[in-house]
Amino acid sequence: MHGQRNLILGKVKMAPKITLSDYAKIIRLQNLEEIRLLAEKLQGKTVKMVNSTAVGGGVAEMLHRTVPLFNELGLNVKWEVIKGSGSFFNVTKSFHNALHGKEEEISDEMLKVYQEANEENAKEMSFDEEFIVIHDPQPAALIRAKEKSSAKWIWRCHIDTSHPQPRIWDFLVKYINKYDASIFSAPSFAKELPIPQYMIYPAIDPFAEKNRELSEKEINSVLDKFGIPNDKPIVTQISRFDYLKDPLGVLETYHLVKRSTDCRFIYAGGTASDDPESAKVLHELQDKASQEKDFHILLLPPFSDFEVNAIQRASSIILQKSLREGFGLTVTEALWKAKPVVAMAVGGIPLQIIHNFTGILVHSIEGAAYQIRYLLNNPKVAKMLGEYGKEHVREKFLLTRNLRNYLLLLVTLEHPGENIIQI
Amino acid sequence: MKEKIAKEPFRFYTSSLLVEITGKIAYHLKDFIKILKEIDVSSIFYHIHHALREYSFAPGQYSNDFARWAEEGLEEGSLAERLASINIRDFTDLEALRAKLVEIVEDHLKKAVEIRKAAPGREFYFLRNIEIITPTPYEVQTLKEFTSALDRVGMRSLYYHFFDARLRLGRKTNDFSDWIQHSLGEEEMARKIDNLDPYFITMDQLKYKIIAICMGKEI
Repeated sequence: MHGQRNLILGKVKMAPKITLSDYAKIIRLQNLEEIRLLAEKLQGKTVKMVNSTAVGGGVAEMLHRTVPLFNELGLNVKWEVIKGSGSFFNVTKSFHNALHGKEEEISDEMLKVYQEANEENAKEMSFDEEFIVIHDPQPAALIRAKEKSSAKWIWRCHIDTSHPQPRIWDFLVKYINKYDASIFSAPSFAKELPIPQYMIYPAIDPFAEKNRELSEKEINSVLDKFGIPNDKPIVTQISRFDYLKDPLGVLETYHLVKRSTDCRFIYAGGTASDDPESAKVLHELQDKASQEKDFHILLLPPFSDFEVNAIQRASSIILQKSLREGFGLTVTEALWKAKPVVAMAVGGIPLQIIHNFTGILVHSIEGAAYQIRYLLNNPKVAKMLGEYGKEHVREKFLLTRNLRNYLLLLVTLEHPGENIIQI
Repeated sequence: MKEKIAKEPFRFYTSSLLVEITGKIAYHLKDFIKILKEIDVSSIFYHIHHALREYSFAPGQYSNDFARWAEEGLEEGSLAERLASINIRDFTDLEALRAKLVEIVEDHLKKAVEIRKAAPGREFYFLRNIEIITPTPYEVQTLKEFTSALDRVGMRSLYYHFFDARLRLGRKTNDFSDWIQHSLGEEEMARKIDNLDPYFITMDQLKYKIIAICMGKEI
């Protein structure tokens, strides 16, 4: 293939350090102590994380935070990034879409580009560690280096592979089956594989710009910036302009709610450069909502994490009216801000929202509108849902839980075949 | 008064669960019961128990995964109520618990006029867990040391000794009562702790009730 001769492996520069003591202010101290107890049993263990980008995207964000925490705990964890040409990343983008179920033409030439890029990377890399964790499909074919390595190899799949295009899945599964274990984010994302499949939920970083605590001043500055008066309750959906996020359904929900309860709606999100449909969706929504002074459409540029955070925190209710969803981390982020969330029961959302307990699950526009009206008129119930939702995230969907699960996985791989492991 | 020294020290342990996806999926109750009869008992343990560990901040709001699926996935209200009312403290082995679950579902199926299929995306995914047990630094020999350590250990440790113990010991008690009775000879105190109903209080409340009993306070 072309453009693959000058591969330089990325040694990743880490983000500003957040230490475990920072998390001690957020999670139960005992939970932190338990993480330390587990880590004591893994002192000095060498681990290599491998993914395809050092910046941008949830995986890189997560690795920036967790790798230093693993090392603080006494493990020896490195993170390396594979390199590839533009054509390689175009191919892996097509793979990504096809694994999500989108129709993609995957040619033999594309498969060859993928294989060759992985081979080139494998030549440049060493795999002397005790555990190798490969993130997502881009570097999955590095497994061919397993023959020369004594490490346990783990494939961590961050994407929703519940309805993949068979051609791409059949191609990748030949590599995946060679791993010692795999990790999926939800049971429905997993497939029938001959290797163990563990479930580790995605996690959010409470210290990230998108999630950190904000002052009233900061929140109001964002509302001012977008010209949104803070004079009535705000209902917000944060999503890309994508039909699968049902922006027109959000507008219909707004119409139903507004008949009886005064409020504002915000639909805020970006358009994806690799999704030509998003501009069309945005224009259609703008056109249909053009007469609605209380329906605000915000086209956010990339890196608008602070604005997203402020808009979520300014809202009385967060809506997620998606018709299809992956894990739905925007829901996790809203729950962490103790916001009552009304969301469709799709994808990973029911894992996060237990109906009438940590939020409200709905199945239709009418259901969403009814529940929003109910919560706007019953702030005590809304508050309770928000508080329980936040506790749910604190327990299950913060980075520290992710850290714990990785430690458990490493221990488990050192005790193959045991259901109860005493260490 | 001199504090009583236990015949054997008590070591606090903690346990964590790594969740494994079994790949077994039920789309309706007939699938469900077939898998339920065959699945590894660690799957039954996981689906019945994990809510107690995960949702201790809001006790009683979530019973177990089987009941939740019957309610939300199948909209089978009466089955959900029966599954939710299973008192896991009545069971000292997982096979007996499996038999009870099978009995409830089979009884429901006998009376069912239709076999409802779960909506797409609301199928039941059987998971199982691997339990990793770790000793904590806390080893105690007196009641005073015990209450002080209990105050400091995490929820998972409390869970391990109070709930898990029944299955581990195969008898209807918990580790704390077992130690207090047999190593300290405090039979009445052990009985009071064992009689606590932990299902509708938070783990923190449970912890403080145990401490109060140990300190001879009324609860």
